[in-house]
Amino acid sequence: MNLINLRIAWRNIWRNKLRSSVVMMAVTVGLFGGLAASGIMKGMVVDMVKNSLENQVSHIQIHHKDFKANNEVDFLIENSSGIIERIKKNKEVKGVCERTKSYGMASTASKATGIMINGIVPEKEKQVTQIYNKLSDSLGNYFISDKKNRILISEKLAKKLNAKIKSKIIITFQDYNGDLTGGSFKVEGIYKTQNGMFDEQNVFVRKVDLDKLLDMPANSSHEIAILLNDFQKAPEVLSQIKPAIPEYFSEAWYDIEPYLKFTSTLTEFMLLIFMSVILLALGFAIVNTMLMVILERTKELGMIMAIGMNRFKVFKMIMYETTILAIVGGALGILVSVIFTWYFGNVGIDISSVGEGFESMGFGSVMRPVLEFADYIQVIVLVFITGIIASIFPTIRALKMRPAEAIRN
Amino acid sequence: MNIIELKDLHKIYNETEVEVHAVNGVDLTFEKGEFAAIVGPSGSGKTTLLNMLGGLDTPTSGKITINNTDISHLSGSQLIDFRLWNIGFVFQAYNLIPVLTAKENVEFIMHLQGRKKNEREARTKELLTAVGLGDRLNSRPSKLSGGQQQRVAVARALASKPKFVLADEPTANLDSKSTENLLDIMERLNKEENITFIFATHDARVMKKARRVITVEDGKIVSDVRKNGDE
Repeated sequence: MNLINLRIAWRNIWRNKLRSSVVMMAVTVGLFGGLAASGIMKGMVVDMVKNSLENQVSHIQIHHKDFKANNEVDFLIENSSGIIERIKKNKEVKGVCERTKSYGMASTASKATGIMINGIVPEKEKQVTQIYNKLSDSLGNYFISDKKNRILISEKLAKKLNAKIKSKIIITFQDYNGDLTGGSFKVEGIYKTQNGMFDEQNVFVRKVDLDKLLDMPANSSHEIAILLNDFQKAPEVLSQIKPAIPEYFSEAWYDIEPYLKFTSTLTEFMLLIFMSVILLALGFAIVNTMLMVILERTKELGMIMAIGMNRFKVFKMIMYETTILAIVGGALGILVSVIFTWYFGNVGIDISSVGEGFESMGFGSVMRPVLEFADYIQVIVLVFITGIIASIFPTIRALKMRPAEAIRN
Repeated sequence: MNIIELKDLHKIYNETEVEVHAVNGVDLTFEKGEFAAIVGPSGSGKTTLLNMLGGLDTPTSGKITINNTDISHLSGSQLIDFRLWNIGFVFQAYNLIPVLTAKENVEFIMHLQGRKKNEREARTKELLTAVGLGDRLNSRPSKLSGGQQQRVAVARALASKPKFVLADEPTANLDSKSTENLLDIMERLNKEENITFIFATHDARVMKKARRVITVEDGKIVSDVRKNGDE
């Protein structure tokens, strides 16, 4: 391979160390800024999706065909345990649980608010969601007591209802027969997820207690939630489950909460746009530098064209120089970004002081930047393209020179 | 045997409001092995003539035939290729690539020709030794004197094995000693290896060494003197 052009380009870059270093530093800082911001954005979204799936949505859900539209208690899944046993046989399934769900009103002596009551089987729920993990030590337990009518409420709801551990909360709702019913529940634990909106609306009670109050038929539920070993296998597992229970409506997380998938895709797209805009700006800086370089080396370029260097080779020589500027700066920017993402991905950036608004949108109060290998590859490709495109204009300028005049310059 | 033939060559510049007839009906031939100088005052048209001879400029009318190829109508890229394989250039300001060593500067043109590494290295060493720089192969131009740089430029011009070498004011920036040294080297290469050298100059020292002196004034040849007395 003929490396003379590459050697000339590399040495030319260091003819003016200060100027080249400034351009490279601009690329480094620009790329780092873009990658760090993208990493934080992506990290927040990944965190939001993960939390939503782990605390709330799981990977696949099964309902009565009409339940989602109306949320009526009589749209049941019958023979829940039989269906669960069949689903458990799938190798990709990590955990399955059934839930009874009902809208109702929670009230204390001072306040009342609308809520979604989730009747869960605590041990089974542990296999699917992380609610049991969201109780701090000082704020009660996750259904340790054998006593009936215990309830888990969120910190946010506790504040709203002015309730504490062992406080009594009256829950009222319509039962299976359409009659108004209710029960008194004692707060056993107070949880807190990263999704303020979810927290405000959801309470958890034992399924057996709720079924009794709702007068639910035996072995029935409103929702079966499935957690998989790998969330990306959801379409594959769904295609196996659907034909096995055609009478019920099965759907994967991206259909249950389309905004999760949309937000994920949008973030990827934003990363591409964001980095492209940054590189476009850096490209202009490189073009400007290279135009100065061409001006300074008029004689030299005239000479090499006079002795017989053709247009393509001139383009290659300028392109190498431009691309090296972009790539060295880009490589440093990526290196700093890798270190930043690795460090803060582990340690996290605490934004709890300003995180109130974020939490209500489902984002965590600790940001952990995330960038994948593919993201870096995408940026490397963009840097390459920038280098090549940025060399076109200076090359055109160089090729317009008439060698005889350039030499006499 | 003629290797260069110029027939009724004209070059008119229209870049300003005033039309400039830089070369005005020149007829000229050069034979293989000549050591010739085109001389004349500034603005006489000698550099324009040299540029057209070297394919760096195209005539307004007339014909330039080099080794039986009419280069007057070659396209830009054909001319670049023609220059690479047929013409060696030595410029007034040396015009070496400053980031390359003497050896790399000489090798550069052979890279452009796509010659193999062994051939490049052997020829580079041979040429730099011939111009007295066998011990400065790895020096960059900034570490060489003006005379030494011009000798590297001569070696570079010869590296491509050209049909002839065009040297535009090659001694203009050199002191007497360097000029003498450079001219001796070029004269030796001319005599020993039959390499054709054509100079554009107004340096008396070059004119003295040249075996043919062509004087140009106002774009016309006013005299063509061969040192054996023929005119």
